[in-house]
Amino acid sequence: MKLIKCIVRPNKVDEVKDALSRLSVSGMTVSEVRGHGKQKGHTAIYRGKEYNVSLLPKMEIEVVVPDLLVPDCIKAVIEAARTGEIGDGRVFVMPVEQSYKIRTGERDID
Amino acid sequence: MANSDAVQAAAPDGDSGHSSRRQQLDAARQELSDATLRGLGGRAALAQYSDTIDGLVAAVFTGALGDTPPAVVLALGGYGRRHLCLHSDVDLLVLFAGALNAQDEGRVGKFLHPLWDLGLVVGHQVRELKDFAWIEADNPEFLLALLDARPIAGDRDLFNRFTATFHRATLHAHLVEALLQLTDQRHALYNATFYQLEPDVKAAPGGLRDLAAVRTIARLTDPALLQQGPSDAARLDEAEEFLLRTRSILHLESRRNQNVLSHAMQEKAAGLLTYPGALPQARVERLMGDYFRHARGVARWLEWMRRVAPAPVGPNLVKSADGVRFIDAGVAANQPDTWLSAFQAAIDCGTAVSDDTLSCIQQHADRFTERDFLLDRAHRDAWLEFLTPRAGLYARLSQMHDSGLLGRILPEFGAITCRVVRDFYHKYTVDEHTLLTIRTLERLAAPRPSPEPPPRERERFASLLQDLERPELLVLALLLHDVGKARDEEHVSESVRLARGVFERLALPAESREVVEFLIANHLQMSMVAFRRDTEDPDTVRRFAALVGVEERLKMLCLLTLADVEAVSLETLTPWKEELLWRLYVDTYNHLTLGYGDELIDRSQSELAQFLGARHGDLPADEIARFLEGLPRRYLQLFDRDAIERHVRLARDIHPDEVHVSLEQKGSAWELTVVTMDKPFLFSNIAGVLSSFGMDILRGHAMTSPNGLVLDIFQFTDGERFLELNPDARDELVSVLDDVVSGRVDVTVRLRGRERSLVHHRPPRVTPVVHCDNHASQRYTIVEIVADDALGLLYRISRVMSQQGCDVDLVLISTEGHKAIDVFHITRDGAKLSAVAQDALAARLHRLLEEDHEVD
Repeated sequence: MKLIKCIVRPNKVDEVKDALSRLSVSGMTVSEVRGHGKQKGHTAIYRGKEYNVSLLPKMEIEVVVPDLLVPDCIKAVIEAARTGEIGDGRVFVMPVEQSYKIRTGERDID
Repeated sequence: MANSDAVQAAAPDGDSGHSSRRQQLDAARQELSDATLRGLGGRAALAQYSDTIDGLVAAVFTGALGDTPPAVVLALGGYGRRHLCLHSDVDLLVLFAGALNAQDEGRVGKFLHPLWDLGLVVGHQVRELKDFAWIEADNPEFLLALLDARPIAGDRDLFNRFTATFHRATLHAHLVEALLQLTDQRHALYNATFYQLEPDVKAAPGGLRDLAAVRTIARLTDPALLQQGPSDAARLDEAEEFLLRTRSILHLESRRNQNVLSHAMQEKAAGLLTYPGALPQARVERLMGDYFRHARGVARWLEWMRRVAPAPVGPNLVKSADGVRFIDAGVAANQPDTWLSAFQAAIDCGTAVSDDTLSCIQQHADRFTERDFLLDRAHRDAWLEFLTPRAGLYARLSQMHDSGLLGRILPEFGAITCRVVRDFYHKYTVDEHTLLTIRTLERLAAPRPSPEPPPRERERFASLLQDLERPELLVLALLLHDVGKARDEEHVSESVRLARGVFERLALPAESREVVEFLIANHLQMSMVAFRRDTEDPDTVRRFAALVGVEERLKMLCLLTLADVEAVSLETLTPWKEELLWRLYVDTYNHLTLGYGDELIDRSQSELAQFLGARHGDLPADEIARFLEGLPRRYLQLFDRDAIERHVRLARDIHPDEVHVSLEQKGSAWELTVVTMDKPFLFSNIAGVLSSFGMDILRGHAMTSPNGLVLDIFQFTDGERFLELNPDARDELVSVLDDVVSGRVDVTVRLRGRERSLVHHRPPRVTPVVHCDNHASQRYTIVEIVADDALGLLYRISRVMSQQGCDVDLVLISTEGHKAIDVFHITRDGAKLSAVAQDALAARLHRLLEEDHEVD
């Protein structure tokens, strides 16, 4: 099992969600996050005054998927979230050692 | 002659008139003296004497002033109460409907002289009706005397108009306060005790003035209090009778207006009032025993009245411990148009509407239809004013809703009462969601003091609210934005449809309708774009900017979106969403203010074709097209059709050096529209002319089309009321403008006199910002300036630009409180400024703005 954590543009969430659903990824966690990547935010001007927008609003989508599905998921997320411009986001893949259903205490098997 | 409704018959004039009046007066004085000597110079005798004086005043007044111009003579103070003693001043007000001319002044003289000849001590005031539109706070005695005003002769209708003008809630509240203050001052002269060995029966504590104060407070706050006081109301009447009989004796015996019951006078009074006793001392003791009993009674009444009387806060409205309530619920029950003022007063006083008043409204609301609440323009304006976002609005609207009144005034809103729409997000009924949106706005308008100050992120939205010219329209839009949810269909268009009915009933001007309808129709758009579109794509911003058109609507829609999202549930509006919303706002604002110079009207544009297709009136399409071509597209969104057609007419046959001007009053501000041909220093000259007349420029737009036609629109306030008070002022302003623009007069010379006052010597509240930008527009260098608002600021800034050889092509002028925000689109020799030129200009402007605050 792997945890796939995607940081995407807010307006791309629906597309990423749809793309993952098409791969039968069932559960997911979506959070509103703020952060910056390489571009470290940018400078905005309002009424003649410059101010630095260092943390940009992004969406974080987390899914846990069987190892077998990981390459397709990554491909799907990248395709759905890409605009080609700076600030498209990141995909991180992490190993998941164990996973349990809280209601039943049942352990998931990869 | 107790009834003065009718104009009294004129007495014969001349010597015979005088001698007949003399006889009447002597007879009346004799009658009062006789009654006084019998110990009966009390209320009945004084009323009779007052009536005779009425007759004399009326006869002389009618003889002197006749019917024209409309005028009325009023008895004031004690005379108004018909308590005129032998040597009391006869206090009169001669009231004219309009301004007095020399002839009227002569007539007033002809009225007063015969009264003086009779030996009456006349205290007179001559006023015109409009003098009473403002409170003369520095003359409370006069205002209090006016409360007892009673018409003696003249135009009864004028008296009614005076009553309507004078008796205002604010004035009543002011008068109660002033009366108590005067009472305290007066009491201090007597060491605040009524146990005086030689009391002044009029002024001492417990005397006639205190008695009048008790009645005045009851009258202005709650007349029913007179039936509830610390003792029977009859005791007050007895005290009054006793004090007046005594006072009559003092006047008769001293032969002047003397009210002190001295030891010598006590003996005389005790005799005349037939107190028993073998020795004078015994009789005096009995008299003074009665005096102190009455004085104590009056003093107790006054003390009680001061403690319990609610504060008057409106017609038939007082503020008591449990909130604002009707003084007379029976009267209020039949006047639904007055109910709103209870809620308005509650907000003004920072309190609630009392439960009994809400019950009264709830009980009677069903008897009336929506039109009964908004009878005329004044009611409709009051309703809109009530919607101004400020502390307490949510709570009062909620009370209004709970009592059923809100649903009666706006049945469209009534239909969403407790309406449940099941979706994944909303946590409250539709009506409460709507009211909560208004609470968000209210909190932006007046953040509550709390241990945790509102997050800084909110302050930026609060600043938008402060900018709004008509924030009440935003609240109206919020009230109506979801009324369409009463039905299960698509709610946005249904809300718009229902709102149009409300606009009709409110007789909302077209301009306001458009704004509110725009907000309702687009209330989901900004959250959709901010949260679901790629706002980093300039095209997204451009499209959204095209939708909103102008900054004012952008600000309103942004605030509406913030409020709407926050009212969905406690969790919906995250800081993350706030940030996205703010970024879309800033990007769109920048697009609207910095980029609009690149988007010009051209003949192929569909908007132009549409405008020309729907034109009315006699204007040829070609003339309109010629005028519009080359102006920024923004122009079509800024002005409605009528305004544009007025501008086209104004521009007709314009020649170089000519100035075509229109000047009109717009609410509390004025709007000056200037059409002329471009030339150096033009903008600064126009701004300078306005400043030379002391006008404070609030907002405006200056536009130049490629063929050199200039259209400048300034909205300004006239703090010195120059335009209002001087009949020739408009012409003077226009002629000076003409002289300055054509070069016949140098505006700097005109401004010299004002120069010193133009510079304000106080620490800056705003750190001045000067920002030059060569990227936002393809054609212009843009200079944004934020500075403390000051008279003449625009003139001085634009003058510096012109001195630096710049052409001022487009200007956006706005003011937020004490902050001026001006955006100039400039060029030099037809091109953007070089980096060096920008730096030099910015340095000059900085110096200028800093000099403004240099201390002498």
